[in-house]
Amino acid sequence: MWIDEKLVPPMTWTTSDRVERILSSYPDRKSAVMPLLYVAMAEYGYVTDEAIREVAGLVGMTSVQVSSVATFYTMYKREELGKYLLSVCTSISCSLLGGRDVLHAVEDETGVPAGETGPERDFSVEHVECIGACGGAPAVQVNYELIEGVGPDKARELVRWLRHAAPAVVRGDEMQTLFGGQRSFDWGPSEAAGATGPLPSLGSIGTMGESK
Amino acid sequence: MGDPVKVTIDGTEHEVDGGTLLIQAAQDAGTYIPRFCWHKRMKPVGMCRMCLVEVDTGRGPMLTTSCTTPCSDGMVVDTKSDIVTKAQEGILEFLLINHPLDCPVCDRGGECPLQDQTMAYGPGESRFVEEKRHYEKPIDISELVLLDRERCILCARCTRFSDEISGDPLIEFQDRGNGTQVLTFPDEPFKSYFSGNTVQICPVGALTARPYRFRARPWDLEAVEATCPHCSVGCRINVQSSQNQVLRFLGVDNEPTNQGWLCDKGRFGFEYIGSPDRLTTPLVRGEGGELEETTWAAALQVVAQWLQDVIAEDGPDSVAGLGGARGTNEDAYAFGKLLRAVIGTNNLDAQLEDGLNPQFLAAATPRASIPDLDAAQTILLWGPDLKEELPVLYLRVRQAAQNGANLIVIHPRRTGLHDVATATVAYAPGRGPEILDRLRSGTGDLAAARKLLMGGGPIVGLIGRPGLTEDPMLAEAVAAFVRDLPDAKIMPLARRSNLFGALDMGLAPSLLPGRAAIASPEARSALAVEWATPIPEATGRDAAGIIAGLADGTLRSLFLFGADPIRDFPDQAAARAALEAANLVVAVDQFLTDSSRLADVVFPAEGFTEVEGTVTNLEGRVQKVARLVAGPGQSRPPWAIFEDIAAAVGSSLGAVSAASIHKEIAQVAPAYRGLSWEQLELGPGREGVIVPGETGEQPLRYVPVDIGIAPRAARLALHSARTLYDDGVHVRFSRSLAQLTAEPFAFVNPEDGARLGIAAGSLVRVTGSSGAADLEVQHDPGLAAGAVYVPFNLEETVGIGDGLDVKLEVIS
Amino acid sequence: MKILTTRMEAHPSDSHTIERYVATDGYKAARKAILDMSPGECHEEVKASNIRGRGGAGFPCGVKWGFLPPDVRPRYLVINGDESEPGTFKDRQLLERDPHQVIEGIIISAYAIDCNQAFIYIRGEYPKPARRIEQALAEAYDAGYLGKNIFGSGFDLEVTLHLGGGAYICGEETALLNSLEGKRGEPRIKPPFPAVEGLYGKPTIVNNVETISNMPWIVTNGGAAYAAIGPEGSVGTRMFSLSGHVRKPGNYEIVMGMTFREFIEDYGGGVPGDRAVKCFIPGGASAPWFTGDQLDLPITIDDVGNAGSMLGSGAIVVMDETTNVVEAAHSIVSFFAHESCGQCTPCREGTSWLEMVLARILRGQGRPVDLELLLDVSDNIAPGLGWPPKMTTICPLGPSAVSPVTSILRHFRDEVEAMIPAGGPHG
Repeated sequence: MWIDEKLVPPMTWTTSDRVERILSSYPDRKSAVMPLLYVAMAEYGYVTDEAIREVAGLVGMTSVQVSSVATFYTMYKREELGKYLLSVCTSISCSLLGGRDVLHAVEDETGVPAGETGPERDFSVEHVECIGACGGAPAVQVNYELIEGVGPDKARELVRWLRHAAPAVVRGDEMQTLFGGQRSFDWGPSEAAGATGPLPSLGSIGTMGESK
Repeated sequence: MGDPVKVTIDGTEHEVDGGTLLIQAAQDAGTYIPRFCWHKRMKPVGMCRMCLVEVDTGRGPMLTTSCTTPCSDGMVVDTKSDIVTKAQEGILEFLLINHPLDCPVCDRGGECPLQDQTMAYGPGESRFVEEKRHYEKPIDISELVLLDRERCILCARCTRFSDEISGDPLIEFQDRGNGTQVLTFPDEPFKSYFSGNTVQICPVGALTARPYRFRARPWDLEAVEATCPHCSVGCRINVQSSQNQVLRFLGVDNEPTNQGWLCDKGRFGFEYIGSPDRLTTPLVRGEGGELEETTWAAALQVVAQWLQDVIAEDGPDSVAGLGGARGTNEDAYAFGKLLRAVIGTNNLDAQLEDGLNPQFLAAATPRASIPDLDAAQTILLWGPDLKEELPVLYLRVRQAAQNGANLIVIHPRRTGLHDVATATVAYAPGRGPEILDRLRSGTGDLAAARKLLMGGGPIVGLIGRPGLTEDPMLAEAVAAFVRDLPDAKIMPLARRSNLFGALDMGLAPSLLPGRAAIASPEARSALAVEWATPIPEATGRDAAGIIAGLADGTLRSLFLFGADPIRDFPDQAAARAALEAANLVVAVDQFLTDSSRLADVVFPAEGFTEVEGTVTNLEGRVQKVARLVAGPGQSRPPWAIFEDIAAAVGSSLGAVSAASIHKEIAQVAPAYRGLSWEQLELGPGREGVIVPGETGEQPLRYVPVDIGIAPRAARLALHSARTLYDDGVHVRFSRSLAQLTAEPFAFVNPEDGARLGIAAGSLVRVTGSSGAADLEVQHDPGLAAGAVYVPFNLEETVGIGDGLDVKLEVIS
Repeated sequence: MKILTTRMEAHPSDSHTIERYVATDGYKAARKAILDMSPGECHEEVKASNIRGRGGAGFPCGVKWGFLPPDVRPRYLVINGDESEPGTFKDRQLLERDPHQVIEGIIISAYAIDCNQAFIYIRGEYPKPARRIEQALAEAYDAGYLGKNIFGSGFDLEVTLHLGGGAYICGEETALLNSLEGKRGEPRIKPPFPAVEGLYGKPTIVNNVETISNMPWIVTNGGAAYAAIGPEGSVGTRMFSLSGHVRKPGNYEIVMGMTFREFIEDYGGGVPGDRAVKCFIPGGASAPWFTGDQLDLPITIDDVGNAGSMLGSGAIVVMDETTNVVEAAHSIVSFFAHESCGQCTPCREGTSWLEMVLARILRGQGRPVDLELLLDVSDNIAPGLGWPPKMTTICPLGPSAVSPVTSILRHFRDEVEAMIPAGGPHG
């Protein structure tokens, strides 16, 4: 029996204004698959099978097609993450300035090997490729908020701080002041915005948080 | 294609159509360029890089993929330079570094493009000493197809086919880089009607088909070309066997029909041929009321005696014949001649439930061919859901729409073509005449469709009955409308197998062989001369009339040739009553079906792949089928059985072989005049010949009529239509397909469900004109409001009948 | 001479706000273009400027705009902010610190090419630049610089911000277009080029963030003035990202023509500890390496090209004498293996193979034959091992992975050999 119409049960996030806005900002709704995956990821914490089915229904693709797009990229995580995603750059410039040592320090301090999430879901650790912070190598991101000039010792302090202070909103400026060193360039004034989870923090996809 | 251009390939100049892909031009000129991802029927992607050549268009030689390079004037191509040769070796080495050494246990071995091209273009050894990629292998991605990701060379042929050609993108690349793999989504298996094509086009053994896995090596196989027996599209197939067992069908690239593709029902619908349930001896109902095995002589004697008694008592008009759509043209011709010339009746019908005017089906003009779809500006589809009933035609229409043709689909339910259609209209069965009125006047929801049809031709109308509750004359009315549009042709649609061939052989109450009408005195007298016997004058009864006549006693005997009216005739109870009331029922069949098991005499028939002959598809294209294996036991070709029955009553059909019958057809049937088997086996005739062609003529040129049907409204209108995998005989006895038979559900639109208080998952009693069935409900937002869709020909649903009004009561 | 960084240096505390932007002559060029010039005239100025793309390919911008077929609409403008080439971080600074400059450049360019819909594609790992652009877009819309009937001229322009998902290959323009269409970010076969068949099959111009940021200055001062800056073939100013073993890594907007040595010492403060430069990458991780021998090469597109490498994305990575070049090469090869989209055989299989062999050498399990193997595998990806490379691949990512391999085997072969045990991997 071939039923090719997908029944998407009405869910709040799929019928929100935000989703409508996103869909209407492209001439072809298939283009919305990437931002909608972020919105779904914010809803569920990670890209679940259900999230993929719902996004598929919104953009008019099959589930496996949406999954094909989601798994092509590194930032749509298909497994549950820790509260803080620690991304340590190991590309050439950071690697020349000790990026690998920073990674090992983070793995050791969190107890989580790269590519995995801790059993208490406090930290996920990954090594990443160049994040455009080469002038401030070695560089680290916490929930994609950047800290530049982080050596192994400061990286350990960062982990300890995250564990104990457990900030609800992770702000780059704050972490840079506490644990950062050499910057790629003058960052200018600090901002209140930060990340509320292991997702890039941006207003239009509803992932932006603020704190002082 | 553009104006001719000159390209030089390996030093030799060739003239080719501008824009032809270089890889195709080279191949046509005799230079094979190795490739994996390129397939002539899909868009080139240049991914495998195996077809790299050096091309100089005036700025020096550039390494480029020949599959993505259109020929341009003055192009100089080197397919064998050192750089090219090294690149070819390099690509193969790259492919082999992760490819497992599975050849001894891989289905593809012996017919494997990777093996072949490695031998011809590859390195002798691999230098890879690292760890290969590993995956769990193989995994089931559907009931029919298995995937071995270690073998996969990521050519994307399978994923591209599913997206581009079949519109079922249920498999896709996941992840990226070296970790890329083809996969399905969890709980969404590769349930496509076309999945088997991916197995055929996979250049390695990554995709294998369960029905064929480990069954044979290609060098063990014998093969002939034939036409698939399952539906009237008539896809060209390569039939392969080993030790007298048919093991596999492969699609043959026949440009005007299937272009290499098959649906899975056709591809895997061969297992019934070797089923242990095949009839192997004649059967006669004994004293105790059971069918008992007997000899041919005894069985023929029974038939002869009984027939002579019946004819003497009640006249030849008390005999009827049903079926003929499941055999060859030669079988059908013999059947018709037996009934008309030897017995003397016009009560014959190859249609069981389609109910369409046979003259419309056989002789409507002007008639469209499948290639007409490629050139059409606008296509109107008002008929069955092609994906369910004529799947490879669905592929062709889909392709035409994707290439820019306007497609209008009018159907009670969302079909597989809706996503590529330009205009779609859904309606509840019964209301079709209203839709046609609005289409004529271009008003309301049909305004857009009308505008497209007035936008210029060519126009092709694909017209048939969307379901069994539709008035069959509505299809003719639609055809009448389309036919009057400028530059328009029509293709009447009916599903079963060789129905069009059977009608062309005269297996209809109003037709004579070769598209002549019984009502025409010239046609009757011409045939009377050929057959040396008078031809009965009065138009006979159709299937409904035959069933009714048997039930009320005005008809006494019935010949069933590959027909199962208890399953296929919409009023199951009436069919059963008819068979039970009949004095004599003679069945010529391959299996004991619900109908043939009620017969008095059953003859075991050879069938498809066991007989030689011709078949005719829905274009009127005649193609040749070949014999590859012998039928089981004492089974014999149907034409021979009919000849023996004629002989048993002291007559003869003049048939000594299928070939001799064909020669007679070419002499007797006007539309088939001049057609020869040789013509169909060699040269351009291998694509099939659309009759009447140049040597034949078509005496009956039927102009569809609009009799002005009144719309019918029902509180709930039954939409009774086919699903591809049903409980038909050939599916039932092919175990790979039988497991896929659709679940019996009753579908309602969710709004109707809410309005009537019928929730999804509840059990309802569906009561129709002939009976009732208890079915689980599903909600289908693609179904027109006011309709209930129940798939026909499932064991549970076949008794409901074809009345429009249906009642639903919630049971639980 | 500076063009792109003047505002952010003069007003570091608010260079990203519309208030500061307007107060420093912001949006005047857009007004001049739309109200006083025709689209053709704008295009002529850009052509006259001879500005070459700043994303890595270095194609003359005005010439690219000229490839748009005259009669096909709609047209799209896509700004490539997917900066992911290791060593490069200049677009990040432009997006974060002067987003309105980017937007004004978009308005001018869209007007010049008769386009009413633009997209800004920013890599997913740049949420802060994306937030700055998002904020700036809102400000620009509010002030009427975007949307319908800009400056009352009848010219409409919608700009949509699109966030990437983490894939370097999306910086390749056709892969970016596929990503924007909702597909996997896989490069397309060229031709057709995006100017003819781009986003949704329509004519599309893809320009880099830095390239587009120059448009306000070019309109204000004229293309000829831009073309007069710097040496022929490398006109204008350019932002170089300097990183690695230098005292002062960072982005530096310079006029081209000085030598690498001058740049590294005068701007980068030289190597810490005054150690020698062992080798350096002149144009991002894809570029073949230079050694100390090329330190006196002028920084121009053509000088670097003629010396067998490329200026690429304008990222200079300095490696001093303490560098383990095999580790460094492995780091870069590993990057490309991770970022390979997987479409074509030589890149998908070859980059991983190169990575595995280098990793094995680093583990002390190398074999003498591995050196020739590395070169031959490389040759099967980029036949001839030249630069610009011949490719057996769809896009230059595969050949990019070859650059570090050929670089270490050409310039530091003895160091590689030294890592290989004399008797093979098993002693």
